[in-house]
Amino acid sequence: MLEVRNLKAGIAGNEILTGLNLSVDAGEVHAIMGPNGSGKSTFALVIAGQPDYEVTGGTVAFDGRDLLSLEPEERAREGIFLGFQYPVEIPGVNNAYLLKAAVNARRRHAGLDEIDAFEFLKLAREKMAVLDMDQAFLNRGVNEGFSGGEKKRNEILQMAMLEPRLAILDETDSGLDIDALKAVAKGVNALRNPEHAIVLVTHYQRLLDYIEPDFVHVLSNGRIVRSGDKTLALKLEERGYEWVREAANA
Amino acid sequence: MSETALNQALLQAAVDALPTDDLSAMRRAAVASFAQMGFPTLGQEDWKYTSLATTAELSNAWLGSLPLGGKAAATDRTEELIASVRDSIDAHWLVVRDGFADSGAAAIGEAGIRISGISADESLHPGSDDPMSVFNAALLRDGLKFSIAANAVPKKPVGILFIDDPSNAVAQTRVIVDVGADARLQLIECSLSAGPGRQFTNAVTGIELARGARLDHVRIQNRDHAHTGVSRISASLDRDACLFSNNFDLGGALTRNDIVIGINGPGASVNLTGLYLADDKQHIDNHTSILHNIGPAISAEEYRGIMAGRSQCVFNGKVVVAKGADGTDSSQTNHNLLLSERAEIDTKPELEIYADDVKCAHGATVGQLDEGAIFYLRSRGLALAQARQLLTRAFAAGTLGTLSIGECHDFLTRLLDQRLESLVGGQSCPT
Repeated sequence: MLEVRNLKAGIAGNEILTGLNLSVDAGEVHAIMGPNGSGKSTFALVIAGQPDYEVTGGTVAFDGRDLLSLEPEERAREGIFLGFQYPVEIPGVNNAYLLKAAVNARRRHAGLDEIDAFEFLKLAREKMAVLDMDQAFLNRGVNEGFSGGEKKRNEILQMAMLEPRLAILDETDSGLDIDALKAVAKGVNALRNPEHAIVLVTHYQRLLDYIEPDFVHVLSNGRIVRSGDKTLALKLEERGYEWVREAANA
Repeated sequence: MSETALNQALLQAAVDALPTDDLSAMRRAAVASFAQMGFPTLGQEDWKYTSLATTAELSNAWLGSLPLGGKAAATDRTEELIASVRDSIDAHWLVVRDGFADSGAAAIGEAGIRISGISADESLHPGSDDPMSVFNAALLRDGLKFSIAANAVPKKPVGILFIDDPSNAVAQTRVIVDVGADARLQLIECSLSAGPGRQFTNAVTGIELARGARLDHVRIQNRDHAHTGVSRISASLDRDACLFSNNFDLGGALTRNDIVIGINGPGASVNLTGLYLADDKQHIDNHTSILHNIGPAISAEEYRGIMAGRSQCVFNGKVVVAKGADGTDSSQTNHNLLLSERAEIDTKPELEIYADDVKCAHGATVGQLDEGAIFYLRSRGLALAQARQLLTRAFAAGTLGTLSIGECHDFLTRLLDQRLESLVGGQSCPT
């Protein structure tokens, strides 16, 4: 589904990704781990099309199509979803309005009829119940005045509504208490099926207790230096990132 | 380069040639006063960003084409405008065309509201020290006065629809509003153009709020983009009186609004908001003064502006707290969104405080759309233009949330959406 080959990218002349290779297939859950500054968030943002980042080399194919030539909104409509590490507050834009606009943008692109207000509310209520979210969130400004945990739940709500083919969750676990973490994990696990792929970008092993990955990759200095199964995450937790760096340099 | 001045001899001749009526003596006195004043010029601090030179030119040409006309004949377009406003906003509507109230305006069938013409003695008040108000008096042919009896609370808002036809180059309008003790009035002033073309309208609104009176005032200006509009609202508040004033400027080539509010009784409160949307070469200048002459009293002011193209806007918000006006609580903000690099805002808060026990805050911001928010929306599948539109609308929507006359909400929402579409649509998209 996603084929990343020798991806090099940076911001303001700084190369951050230095030749990243990754292959994700439908039905798989991947975890990308790595120390601060290794390029985890950059990778997530480049896949989503953040315009501040410049791709200087390599290719990214999504279902065989050149992803890098698509605008951010086109990538979203094709089924790529980025759960932001720092979701943006947008006062004055209604949360329900954004959710509905996002769902309909994707449906139009897929040649489906737009969802009507009744169906939309029904669907939103179902998803919110799974995430243990108060329905009052629908009528608030997007992330406006939300706590850290509420913002992350809201990201997962958007994901649940959009049912993306590929969800990349950028440190969705950071700053969450255990209840919020469980709710987020529930939302992610609900998306897990043979049609969808999930990439979890995380600093800690903790999230992986709740969402079991098929593959774990370690990112260091802008490329993947080690890949393995879920036991790699446990090893990392035990030995720290220094161990990977040494292994990479060896 | 000297600015074109208004030709006093032409003014004198034009006023002399008008048919005699109740306002003749007042007009003659105003012409004499105006001779000492003339139109404001760029040399005056309050007018340093706004030139009336082309307005003087237009006025001179009009004054020279004697005799001065009455109102233009109503066209299909005029009738359409009237019908669409009547259908959109549930209110008692009165129509003023080219400065003349349509007949039948007097009866609206609400107890406690008396509507009349204005008489000579009250016509010069307010604004006898303001050249544009004096110019208004010099050429005034008709006006409307609303007297609300004490304790009266009309069921529906009263709307005045000003329609200006560019075939009549210059128009003066004057509205006097007296709200009696503990009475309430909801007043909508809506200004539209009957068609495209250059025209100059000079509007004066005088507001007197007695003890405990409340006025909700919504002013909507969506005139043709060749129009010049100068307006002045003067309001005086007695003890415990309350003024909600919401001002929307969407149209016009050159617009200058002065709002002067005198707080003259303890316990009075003022809530003043404004929204200005400009593109192309539109120029919108808002000058507000809130005079806290006595305390305790509250004033809260928030103006927002969105500018695209090569538009230029001005916000000057003055708050004066007089000696002894203790217990004054005043806040003022002006937020601006610039959608193009060539758009300009000149914003200036002015605070003069002569009392000891006061709370005054002010702030102004100028910014662009948040790129982080744009990417966030795009990452959810919204097109770039849609993301921009949504964020721009959200910025403007803040002023709709505090709208004092709910009946205007849908009409304004539609109007704002239309305007914002052209403002945002006109932006150049990065490739």
